[in-house]
Amino acid sequence: MTATTTTSLAAQMRDGYKDYGTGEMAVRALDGVSVDIARSEFTAIMGPSGSGKSTLLHTLAGLDRLTAGESSISDIVITTLSEAQVTEVRRNNIGFVFQSFNLIPSLTARENITLPIDIAGDKVDKEWFDEIIGILGLADRLTHLPAELSGGQQQRVAVARALVSRPEIIFADEPSGNLDSRSGAELLGFMRRAVKEFGQTIVMVTHDPTAASYADRILFLEDGKIVDEMRDPSAEKVLDRMKQMGH
Amino acid sequence: MRATTHKSIRDLKRQWRQVAAVAVTIMLGVMVYIATAGAYQNLSASYQETYDRLAFADYVATGGDPADVATAATDAGASDAITRLQIDPPMLIEDTKLLGRVVGMPTDAHPAIDDVDVIDGDYFDDGATDQVLLETHAAETFDVGPGDTLQIFGLDGWETVTVQGVVDSPEYLWAARSRQDIMSDPHSFAVVYAPEDMAEQWFGEGPNQALALMPADASDDDGDAVEQAMRDAGATAITPWEDQASNATLSEDLDGFDEMSKAFPALFMIAAGVASWVLLARRIIQERPIIGTLMASGARRGRVLRHYLGQGIVIGAIGSVLGVALGMLANRAVTTAYTGFVGVPDTVIHNYPWMIAIGLAFGIVVGILGALGPAITASRTAPAAAMRAAGSSKPPGAWSRMVARLDWLPVSARMALRDIVRSRKRTFATMLGTVLALILVLASSGMMTSIVQAVNLQYTEINLEDATVAAQKGAGVDDALADVDGVSAVEPTTLGQVTIVADDDSYATLLHGYEPDTTMHGFRSQDGSFIDLPTDGVLIGQAVIDLLDVGVGDSITLSTDAGDTDVTIAGFLDEPIGTSVYTTNDAAATILPETSAEAYALSFDEGVNRDEMRQTITQLDGVVAYQDTRAIISTIDDYLGLFWAFIGIMILLGAILAFAVMYVTMAVNVVERTGELATLRAAGAPVRKVAGAIAVESLLATIIAIPLGLWLGAVAAQQFLNTFNNDLFQLDLMWSWWVLPAAALGVLAAALISQIPAARAVKKVDIATVVRERAA
Repeated sequence: MTATTTTSLAAQMRDGYKDYGTGEMAVRALDGVSVDIARSEFTAIMGPSGSGKSTLLHTLAGLDRLTAGESSISDIVITTLSEAQVTEVRRNNIGFVFQSFNLIPSLTARENITLPIDIAGDKVDKEWFDEIIGILGLADRLTHLPAELSGGQQQRVAVARALVSRPEIIFADEPSGNLDSRSGAELLGFMRRAVKEFGQTIVMVTHDPTAASYADRILFLEDGKIVDEMRDPSAEKVLDRMKQMGH
Repeated sequence: MRATTHKSIRDLKRQWRQVAAVAVTIMLGVMVYIATAGAYQNLSASYQETYDRLAFADYVATGGDPADVATAATDAGASDAITRLQIDPPMLIEDTKLLGRVVGMPTDAHPAIDDVDVIDGDYFDDGATDQVLLETHAAETFDVGPGDTLQIFGLDGWETVTVQGVVDSPEYLWAARSRQDIMSDPHSFAVVYAPEDMAEQWFGEGPNQALALMPADASDDDGDAVEQAMRDAGATAITPWEDQASNATLSEDLDGFDEMSKAFPALFMIAAGVASWVLLARRIIQERPIIGTLMASGARRGRVLRHYLGQGIVIGAIGSVLGVALGMLANRAVTTAYTGFVGVPDTVIHNYPWMIAIGLAFGIVVGILGALGPAITASRTAPAAAMRAAGSSKPPGAWSRMVARLDWLPVSARMALRDIVRSRKRTFATMLGTVLALILVLASSGMMTSIVQAVNLQYTEINLEDATVAAQKGAGVDDALADVDGVSAVEPTTLGQVTIVADDDSYATLLHGYEPDTTMHGFRSQDGSFIDLPTDGVLIGQAVIDLLDVGVGDSITLSTDAGDTDVTIAGFLDEPIGTSVYTTNDAAATILPETSAEAYALSFDEGVNRDEMRQTITQLDGVVAYQDTRAIISTIDDYLGLFWAFIGIMILLGAILAFAVMYVTMAVNVVERTGELATLRAAGAPVRKVAGAIAVESLLATIIAIPLGLWLGAVAAQQFLNTFNNDLFQLDLMWSWWVLPAAALGVLAAALISQIPAARAVKKVDIATVVRERAA
């Protein structure tokens, strides 16, 4: 794999552009974004609908390609890699948490959690697995199918799945979007613990100021550009900032 | 076991009914293949076993000096050659007069060629003079066995002989007098094997046939050399074993099995492939976020491809393994039933490894092909799909918008109309299931109804006589026949064997002579109209156009024991059964050799008792043989039981095929719309209404497909019939008026029945579970 050493950051993007469509129909989703994601930090991305949050997440995570610019995961510049190589980078370095959980209905909670390790053909680190399960309170739910779990439990399984392979970085897309406030708070608390206790790096897209307040840092996007950044946020500060953006 | 393997197994278990429907379709396809291909191979082997064991002649020649012809055959490479007398004299068996066949045989040993298998009684005593062996079909028809007597009409009148044994013969596995006479009144034909010396004495003739047997390893060229040598030695007509009447008739059936072993399994395999495709394609659309998740988690495209292909392979493997197992049983059953029905002495049953391998491969390949498209689609899923909701969010098209405006229609009807185009693949699959089922049903029923109609045409519009009578010449039988109560008309006719020779080609057939204004035979021209018998020239069955490369106005030679006669072809006839030559009695008399018998065609009054007519007429002085033409129809009716059983099986298979495909599409329809259905149920819509909307959609797709299915079914039936057409049969596709509506109704019924499990599925929709699974 071609790897270009850049920085010790978990992820970064330089002059990232992303256009959808061509000619007059072209829509610019990212407009020269440059961003650094530091290790062991919980970063939230916020912005109004259509601001480019999801596109930024996808291109940072190697799920989608930039039209121009460069992005990297850890020390690996992924914009120059083949699709197979990007797949390998995702397999070895990235975990995902999705708004709609994306658990496989026919697999048990345990099998869903160990899926990334199974895909990589690696062995499960039992100690680490047990620790995650203990923290997430899933020990007595491992043999259940997703349909037999509550929404909060399903999303905890999804978080466990993202953590189990000790990825360099976890990307989360509205992880609490489908949960009630209590379950959402629990989940965000777990994610926060993962950052503080295990040094996990998390990048999260959210609309919810309360969810964003769990992050160390918030990036505000508007019209495909990062227009602001906030450290040590609180829900009130985030809400005020969003109001300024007309959100 | 890997998680994705777990997923595959559990996904298949979750959809076991649909998986079972696809697997059953594959199973039926493989089963039909193994059964029909196996029957073809086994029946061929069974015939061959009998032919080899009883030294079935490779060539039978007439004309010239048979001894010279036989010598020429052995000199040219035949492993053996013999001569014998064969003659068709009147016989009297159990009070029935008929035109039988006497074949000469040695008494001191079995013949080296065209031997017989004694199945009851014994072979001739050495030097026997009044013993005969009776061919098994006649023995069964007349219920005659060893020790019984029968009479043969020779030069000196009736000779009484005793049946020494009942025999099977490779020449009469299908008891046919000639290729032109393959379906006849069983009471009108019997084969009797008589001591050669006695036969020659009864009829005042020496051997008139030379039979040649080729070595087992003989090539086609070797055969050609022997045939040419026999011809050079004076043989005027040579019948190779392939064209021998019994073998040629049975080969027609074999060819039917061969065609079926290709065509019918193909229909099932297409249906199974499409059903599998619909099943997996729909699931993959639903699983887009999951596939995206797998790929986002680092699964390569190849792995996703293999994951879904694997499911197709599993479905195919289940179907093909079961299909092979059932096919092997069906192969045994079909072969045994067929050889038993025909009376083939040897029954060879093998389950050929290559056939099993092909059957297994068929099923697995169908599983792969059915899964390939969806699997490729899955492997091309963008990992970012993990971030999006499942299902299509395409805006409604013109049709949906138009249907939405039809507010005078009930909502359920509008839903059904909208859904027709909502999932084109599903609608296409339903339509394809309909079309394939109709092809299967119409191809088989079309073949059968065409045969029935052809027989009706042959025996109600072409062969107009009710009976034919052979009588001693000059006995005044015509007047006596006319005086019989119930006989409405009597006409003299002529019948004899001829060989048509045109350039280097020849064709052995029958020459029929009729009165110029005959009412006993309808001459059906190629355009379907009926024409008069010409007084100048002959009419011939149209098969000779290709066989001999001749046309109207061409001159041909008719070769008989009386010599060669040049005649002109006045026209060709379109007759479903046989390929004969027709001319006037006067012309026939100049062509055929002089005989001691004369023939009459009779027509009866409406409603006469035909058994009484047979009884009365055969007792008239001078009558030596009687054939009830209509009895042929009852013989055919006997066989029709088998035909209808075959059609019944095909209709059943067609219904299963249609049901399986429609069930899969219906089940997929329900699964795809569980959210929508759960919402309707939650809103208080009764199950009947929700299921009704789905049923209307499915039935609508079925109805749309029916015209195409009927048309393609008719085309397939015609193609299928074409494979049978030769000089023995010329079959045109003919339906009874009810066949097409019945087929359409049958498919609709299958579609309706397939709604029952769908309605149950709607009833079972658990709103809470749906919501939770949707969330997952």
